[in-house]
Amino acid sequence: MPNDAPSDVLQGTLDMLILKTIDLEPMHGWGIAQRIQQMSRNALDVGQGSIYPALLRLENRGWVESDWATTENNRRAKYYRLTALGARQLRREADSWRKYSRAVELILAS
Amino acid sequence: MTRSRSWFATIRGWARALLTRSAVEDDLSEEISFHLEMETEKYRRTGLAPEAARRAARIALGSVDGTREGHRDARGTRVLEDAIADTRYAARWLRRTPSFTVSAVLTLALGIGANVAIFSVVDAIILRPLPYPRPEQLLSLGSGSAGEFLALRERLRGFSQLGAYATQTHPIDDGRQALRIEGAAITTSVLSLLGVSPQLGRGFIEEDGIAGNNAVLLISDGLWKRQFGATPDVVGRGVLLEGVPHTIIGVMPPDFHFPSRTIEYWQPGVFNTADLGATWAIGDKSLVGRIAPGVTVEQAQRQVREVWPTLRKANPLWDPGESYRREVAPKPLQAEVIGASGRVVWLLFGCVLLVLLIGCVNVANLLLARATAREREFAVRAALGGGRGRLVRQLVTESLLISAIGSVLGVAIALLALRWLINAMPTDVPRAHEISVNGTVLAFTTLLTVITGVLFGVIPALRATTAVSGTTSMSSVGGGRRATHGIAHHRVSGALVAAEMALAVLLVIGATLLARSFSALRRVDPGFHPEQVIAARVSPPGASYNDPGRTSALYLAVLERMAGLPGVQRVSAVDKLPLAQSVWGISPRIQGQFEDATHSLPTIGHYQQVTPGYFATLDIPLKQGRVFTDADGADSPPVTVVTESVARRFWPSGGAIGHRVGYPWKSPWLTIVGVVADTKQDSLRDTVGASMYVPWQQRTRMSGNEMWVLARTSGDPVAIAAQIRAIVREVDRTVPVSDVRTMGAVLSASVQRARFTVMLVGAFAFAALLLGAIGIYGVMSYLVGQRTREMGIRLALGAPLGGVTRLVVGKAATLAAAGAVVGVVAAIFATRLLGSMLYEVSATDPLTFVLVPTALIGVALAASAVPARRATRVDPVRALRAE
Repeated sequence: MPNDAPSDVLQGTLDMLILKTIDLEPMHGWGIAQRIQQMSRNALDVGQGSIYPALLRLENRGWVESDWATTENNRRAKYYRLTALGARQLRREADSWRKYSRAVELILAS
Repeated sequence: MTRSRSWFATIRGWARALLTRSAVEDDLSEEISFHLEMETEKYRRTGLAPEAARRAARIALGSVDGTREGHRDARGTRVLEDAIADTRYAARWLRRTPSFTVSAVLTLALGIGANVAIFSVVDAIILRPLPYPRPEQLLSLGSGSAGEFLALRERLRGFSQLGAYATQTHPIDDGRQALRIEGAAITTSVLSLLGVSPQLGRGFIEEDGIAGNNAVLLISDGLWKRQFGATPDVVGRGVLLEGVPHTIIGVMPPDFHFPSRTIEYWQPGVFNTADLGATWAIGDKSLVGRIAPGVTVEQAQRQVREVWPTLRKANPLWDPGESYRREVAPKPLQAEVIGASGRVVWLLFGCVLLVLLIGCVNVANLLLARATAREREFAVRAALGGGRGRLVRQLVTESLLISAIGSVLGVAIALLALRWLINAMPTDVPRAHEISVNGTVLAFTTLLTVITGVLFGVIPALRATTAVSGTTSMSSVGGGRRATHGIAHHRVSGALVAAEMALAVLLVIGATLLARSFSALRRVDPGFHPEQVIAARVSPPGASYNDPGRTSALYLAVLERMAGLPGVQRVSAVDKLPLAQSVWGISPRIQGQFEDATHSLPTIGHYQQVTPGYFATLDIPLKQGRVFTDADGADSPPVTVVTESVARRFWPSGGAIGHRVGYPWKSPWLTIVGVVADTKQDSLRDTVGASMYVPWQQRTRMSGNEMWVLARTSGDPVAIAAQIRAIVREVDRTVPVSDVRTMGAVLSASVQRARFTVMLVGAFAFAALLLGAIGIYGVMSYLVGQRTREMGIRLALGAPLGGVTRLVVGKAATLAAAGAVVGVVAAIFATRLLGSMLYEVSATDPLTFVLVPTALIGVALAASAVPARRATRVDPVRALRAE
C-alpha cells in the first residue's frame, strides 16, 4: 500500500524534488530529470530508472496529474502537473526538510 | 477529505494498473522512448555523430527492465500482477504437456466431483437447518400416547408449544380415482409450532381439533399438482377420506414435508379422551415441542427427562412400572429427522474424501516426476534472479490452476452424479428433495479446490526448488546428470505411494466388510419362499367398510376371483406383509404362566392376522398341529398358530399344541392349534422369530381394514399384476390398490439401504484401488526411467535380468507392504465405526484383513511388473550414451 509504506529518506527527497520542479510549470519526465540536474548544478543525477516509478507513485497518491501533450518540437510527451494536494504536500515536505537539514547542519558545525 | 482524495487516487491507480495493464505498460514504453530520444538529442548537441549519440544515450539510460520493475512495484499491484503472470505461465505450461494435464485434471475432477456430490447430500440432510423459523428451538420428545401428550402439555413449562403427530395411510377418493396415500394426523398446534402456513387457503385453527369439526384436510403441493391440476379452487373441494366426506381447506408450500417426504395430506388429530384405552394404550404419537424463549435446549431436555417419568401415576389404566420412561431421550428435531441416515452419509463422505486424497497423492507424484524434468528450467530461473519463494509460488499457482479446472469439471460431474444418486437413494432418506448444488456446496468446492491444490502442489514445489537453492544449480543448468540424482525425490515418491496404498487398503477393507455383510444378508433364509409370489395392498375405506362382514365379503370376493386367474396356485391375505412394513408385536397373557395383565407380560415380536391359505402361499412349513381352515370362523372357538421360537420359549419341553394364550385385555383364551417355522418379519436382520398368527375371521379391530392379498403363481407373477388391480376395481371401485409388487421385490427393497451403501462404498473402493495401482505404476515407471543408466551399467557388468526385475518389483513390494500395514492398522480402528451396518461379519474379520492387503499388494506388484520388464530391456550401450 503506497500510502502506508514508510518511504526512505532518499525516495522521500526525490518525491519532494519532483514536486518542486513541476511547481512552476507542467513538465515531462525527461525535463524533470534535466531540471533537477541543472538546478543542483549536476550534483544530483536522477536516472529514468527512478524518475518514472516515482512519478507513478506520486500520481497514485494524487499529488500529480499527467496528460499526453505535444512538446515545442512537436513531439508527444507525457506532462506532469502539480495538484492542489501535491502543492500542500510540497510545502509540508519542504518545511520538514529545512528543519531537518538545519538540524544536521548545526550538529556538523559544532 | 485529503485522505479520502488521496485514497481515491490510489484506488484509481490500482484499477488502471489492473484493468488497462497493457495501456499502462505502453505509456511507460512511450515515455521511455521519448526519454531516449531527448537524451540522444542532448548528446548530438554536444557534437557527437548520430550513432555515437544514440549509443551514449543508451548507456546513460541504463537498464529499462529495472525501470519497468520499479514501475510495476510503484503500481502497488505487484502481487496480483504476478499472480496473473503466473497463471498465464501455468496455463501455457499445462497446454504444452497435455497428457500430464489431462490425467491430473481427470483424476481431480472425479475426486472432487464425488466429493461435491456427496457433500451436497451431507449439506441437505445433515448440515442445513430444518426449513422452519428458529429451528434450533424445535425438540423431538419421542413417542407416546395421547394421554401422555395431554399430561405433558400441562406440565412442561419450558416449552411454548407442544404438538403430537402420527402418520397414517388412508384411502382418498376425489370422485374420479381412489388412492391410498400417506398422511399425518397432527394436533392443530403443530403448524403454528413449526411456523409454517399454507400457500393457499388456511391452516388449522384450534376448533378444527374438536371432534365433529375435524373433517378438514390440508394437502401437499405435490398432491395438489398431481391430482388437482394445481387449480386454486381446490380449496373448499370435498374428498372422501376413508369414505367420509372431508373438505380441503388449504395447500401447504412445496418445501413442506413433515414429518417425512412421503406425507401428502394433514388432518387435525382429535383425541377422544373418553376412550381411556385409545388415549393411554396406543403410544403411536410422536411428540414435538418448541422451546420457550430464554430456555436452553439442555434445560428443556432435562425437564422432559424429569417430568415424563412422573406421569407413571397419571395412567388411569395400569401401573407401567418402575422403569416407566426412564429412557426418554428428547433430541433436537433435526437429529430426529436425520435418523439413521446420518451414519451412512458420513460414511460415504469419509470414503470420497479418502478417494480424493488418493487422487491428490497421484497428482503429487505426477508433479514430482515433472519437477525433476523441469529442474533445468528452475535452475535457469533461479540463476536469472527468481527467488525460491517466487518459484514455489509459481508452482503452487500451477497446482491451483489444475485443481481449479478439476473443480469446474468436478461440479459438472457432481451435477450428473446427483441426478442418478437421488434416484438410487433409499426412499426413506430424509430431505432428499432438498439436495442441490447450492451456495454452501460451491463454497465447499472452492475450499476443496484450494486445499487439494495446496495439498498436492506444495510438497512437489518445495522438493523441486530445494535443488535450486543448493549447489546443484550449475550442473543442472549445464544439463548434467548424476547417477545418484533424485534420491530424495524417490524417498518422497515412495512415501506418497505407501500412503496411497494405506488409504486404498483402508477403503477396500471397509467395502469388503460391507459387501460380505450384504451377501450374508441376501443369503438369509426369510423362512418363506418369495419366488413367484405377488402381493398387493387393498385398503377399503373405513366408512363404507365399518362392518366386519362386509369387509370379509370384499376380500373373499377378491381372493376367489384371483384364484381363478390363469397360473394362480394359491391365494391368501395378511394384514401386515413381512419385510414391507413393521409388523406389530403383542404382549399376550399365557395360561399358567402370565395370566395377570397388571404384571409385565412377555412380548411376542410379531402378531399377524391371516387367511387360511397364508402359510401355503408363502410356503411356511408347518411343524406341528394344523394351520387355519375356513372352519375357524368368527363364531368358532378362538385359535392361534405360533412359531417354533414361541413354542420353544414358553413350552421348552415341547407340546405347545393345546395350550392357551390371550390378548392383554380381558378376552377369551385362544387355543394353540399349530406350530410353524420362524419367519423374518421386520427385516432380514430380524433375530426375533417369534410370531403369533390368528385367523382373519377372528381378527381384532387393531389394524383396521387394510390387508395385503397374495398369490402364488406357476408362471411369472408380474403377469397378473394388472389383473389384480382390475379385480379389486370390479368388486368395488372405491377401494384403492397400491404397492403391487412381487415378494422378491419386497425382499430386495427391504435391503435397499444396505445395497445402496455397499454399492457406493464399493465404487469408491474400486476407484481407490484403481488410483492406487496407477500411482504405483507411475512411480515405478518413473523410477525405471530415471535409473535407466544404472540398469544399463548393471546389465553391462553382467547382472542377471532377474536381478534387475527383482530390484524394481522388490521396491514396489516394499512400498506396498509398508502401506498395507499402515492401512490395516488404520482399518482396525476405522471399521468399528461401521458398527450396526455390518451383519454376521466382525468389524475385524480376519479373512478380510488378510485377503484384502494381500490382494492389494498383488495388484501393486502387477502394476510394477510392466516397468520392471521395461527395465530388463534396457540396452546398456544406449543407456550409457543417453547422458
